[in-house]
Amino acid sequence: MKRLFTLFRWCACLVVFVVALEVCARVDDVLTYGAPFWGPYNDDILLQRDSIGKWGRPGARYAKWQLNSLGYRGPELRPGSLRIITMGASETFGLYEAPDQEYPRQLERDLNSWAGKDVFQVVNVAFAGETLPTAILRVPQIVDEIHPSYALIYPDLSSYIWMSMRTESAAKPPSQPRISFDSRLAGRVGNLLKQTLPTEIQNELRKVSMRREIASRHYVVLDRLPEDRVEHFQHDLTTLIATLRDHGVEPVLVTHATVFHKPLVESDHVPLTTWRKIYPMLKEEGFLDMELRMNAVIRRTAADEHVPLIDADKEMPHGPTYFADMVHFTTFGAGVMAGILANGMEPILAPQVERAANGISQAGVGNLQTNPSTTPQRQ
Amino acid sequence: MSSQALLYVIVLPVTWLLLWRLNSARSRQVLLLITSYVLYASWGLRFLALLVCSSLLNFALGGWLRRKLSAGRLWLGVLFNVALLGTFKYVPALAPLLPSPVSSPLADIVLPVGISFWTFQALSYLFDVYREEELDPSLVEFLLYMAFWPTVLSGPICRLSGLLPQFRAPFEPGREDVRRGLDRICMGLFMTALGQLLGAGLHPGQGVDSIFDSSKGGLTGPDVWCLAIGYGFELFFNFAGYTHMVIGAARAFGFMLDENFDRPYLSTNASEFWTRWHMSLSFWIRDYLFLPLVMLRREWWWRNFALVLSMVVFGLWHKGALLFLLWGLYQGILLVLHRQWQLLQRHYEWQFPPPVMGPLSWVVTFCAICLGWVFFRANSLSQAFAMLRAAANPGTYGSHTLAGSVYLLVAALALGYFVAIGGQQLLRKYWEGLTVPLEARFALYAVAVYVGVLHAAQTQAFIYFQF
Repeated sequence: MKRLFTLFRWCACLVVFVVALEVCARVDDVLTYGAPFWGPYNDDILLQRDSIGKWGRPGARYAKWQLNSLGYRGPELRPGSLRIITMGASETFGLYEAPDQEYPRQLERDLNSWAGKDVFQVVNVAFAGETLPTAILRVPQIVDEIHPSYALIYPDLSSYIWMSMRTESAAKPPSQPRISFDSRLAGRVGNLLKQTLPTEIQNELRKVSMRREIASRHYVVLDRLPEDRVEHFQHDLTTLIATLRDHGVEPVLVTHATVFHKPLVESDHVPLTTWRKIYPMLKEEGFLDMELRMNAVIRRTAADEHVPLIDADKEMPHGPTYFADMVHFTTFGAGVMAGILANGMEPILAPQVERAANGISQAGVGNLQTNPSTTPQRQ
Repeated sequence: MSSQALLYVIVLPVTWLLLWRLNSARSRQVLLLITSYVLYASWGLRFLALLVCSSLLNFALGGWLRRKLSAGRLWLGVLFNVALLGTFKYVPALAPLLPSPVSSPLADIVLPVGISFWTFQALSYLFDVYREEELDPSLVEFLLYMAFWPTVLSGPICRLSGLLPQFRAPFEPGREDVRRGLDRICMGLFMTALGQLLGAGLHPGQGVDSIFDSSKGGLTGPDVWCLAIGYGFELFFNFAGYTHMVIGAARAFGFMLDENFDRPYLSTNASEFWTRWHMSLSFWIRDYLFLPLVMLRREWWWRNFALVLSMVVFGLWHKGALLFLLWGLYQGILLVLHRQWQLLQRHYEWQFPPPVMGPLSWVVTFCAICLGWVFFRANSLSQAFAMLRAAANPGTYGSHTLAGSVYLLVAALALGYFVAIGGQQLLRKYWEGLTVPLEARFALYAVAVYVGVLHAAQTQAFIYFQF
């Protein structure tokens, strides 16, 4: 009986230990991010779903990610500025950078520093997982809300690995944030293990998980991305350019940069496996081949459509100093990317800045931009 | 938390369980030695090779010295250890002064983790043998003494006379040992988290470390005091927190290690401070450097010179850099001033009322010690002197340039520390037999694990690992 009681007491202690850890995690969220103590708290908070697809929830905040009142990452719109939008996916939205250090924010600072005053506002309209077809459908709404003069297009390429050949339009009904019990402790322990486990072990674990997923979902593993998907990408890109132009926005294309050196070095193998774990249906070499072909498409499209091109793929240095994983920037990398984009944008923006400096300033800039003096609010 | 920390978390409980199965002291020592080597090897195999070579050579030197006690043999041992430490610790610092073909490979020498600590342990063994202490360790015991997993990375610097009987004793840690060990590990986790908070600040760029590293100019007197006190507490929380964890982990295995800190910021003079701060190194310097030096001559100036010299060595033990030399020199001067003050008091038979003298001495000591941390933490000589100039200029005391949150954080943690000490003493006085239920204890452990491990997952390395 005594032994049973002791066993029961130790079990109670274990439960107390785990519950106390969960409470600590929740208190930490409340104190650090103003998160609710009860209820779900995950990145679903940032997004809502409408007839087009996923979209930012106005004013939402999750951990370091803060959306403005229109649902875009970054500060509120500033009246009287020339607006540049950055379109893309998670690379542009920003995952690993310190708050306010994602490349659109750094680009805005670089451009304003070059102009000598706060002439420009860079609005980050990207979301993690956003595809070109969705972006095309969003253009009217974005233009209506932001009235941008330029759009920097830094497309996500890997969505073409598994995207179907139709757009996502109205594919899914609007959804609410998950309401099941989410342990906030579990996420932290996972992160801790990621930091703690040696890279080699993590890489082997990824390979095991990948093999399991391929087997369970019966994926046909491709050596390279089929040509029809590359053509589809080209079609989407051309459509996006046309849509933007139809709405009075001048597009600027940016080629896609990755962590991988050319040729590959030893440190590239881990991020390559990580990438493949997300898209197990494509072999490692297929990703590099995809980047090569898709970037060629971006260059060709820029030439065919007479769109300015910034070749980030060529200019961006490679390696873990600049990329936190295969494609997402570190804070430092985002700074370098912003510098490359600023260099590319300066010749395009020079006439506006010159006019602003020559006294036509307010009127001139005002004529070039279509943004109203008041900031629209999305409900 | 690093991969090494995870290895410790996995390996140590396994070792603890295995130790119960082993009956002979020798087999337990071998298991502890293997564990220590595996854990140390996680920092680098080359470091382990160096540790093993140094241990074997020091063991041989000790045996050779024991066979015939001579100053020459002792000096040979001392020279070997100083040369080893100097090669890894001081040569890279001097490399930039040498011509370029020679300097580049020397500048690339990597400092093995804990070399300053285990080299001083080896030296203390040689000195103790020379002093004819009853020390006759076996090879395994000596190797274990040098590589003992709780102390090999950042101390406390132990003496063989303290550890040898414990290595030979049966392995029977009681429930009380485990409980006290876990308590201290949790205390250590809390303290290191507080140290990290001070270093990083409440907001980005508003922590003590970030301000020192930004080499922010235009600091005013209050800013310098805030940074000096803030860094004093950061270093204390970090190093004392680490020491709590080490002593706690060793205690859970039934080993009692020497204490390294004894509420140093309550000291009312510099001499007292150095019997409460990094005590294992402080006592090492006293026993093996200061006392032998002071015995050489009887003059007052020689005693003061020996004090200053000892503290300069203390400073240089941390790093071969001018700033650490100046920090040691500054501490030596504080000790000399305190000693001269004592002599004056005795000579003129000054008597001050304790209610006045006690707080006044504490304030002067606290301020003097904290100001010294500027030398310890500054990134350059110019930064240190700019800060000291600001502190010495009354004209700068009318304003401050640091954010309010920096002041708030430093004040809250410094005051909180003193309140916690007061509360602890009250608890001891009035609730001596108070026991915390096991469940409540586990809840507190959970909070400590969260604060010290999960929240501080990106924690900086322990400050003293670099020494």
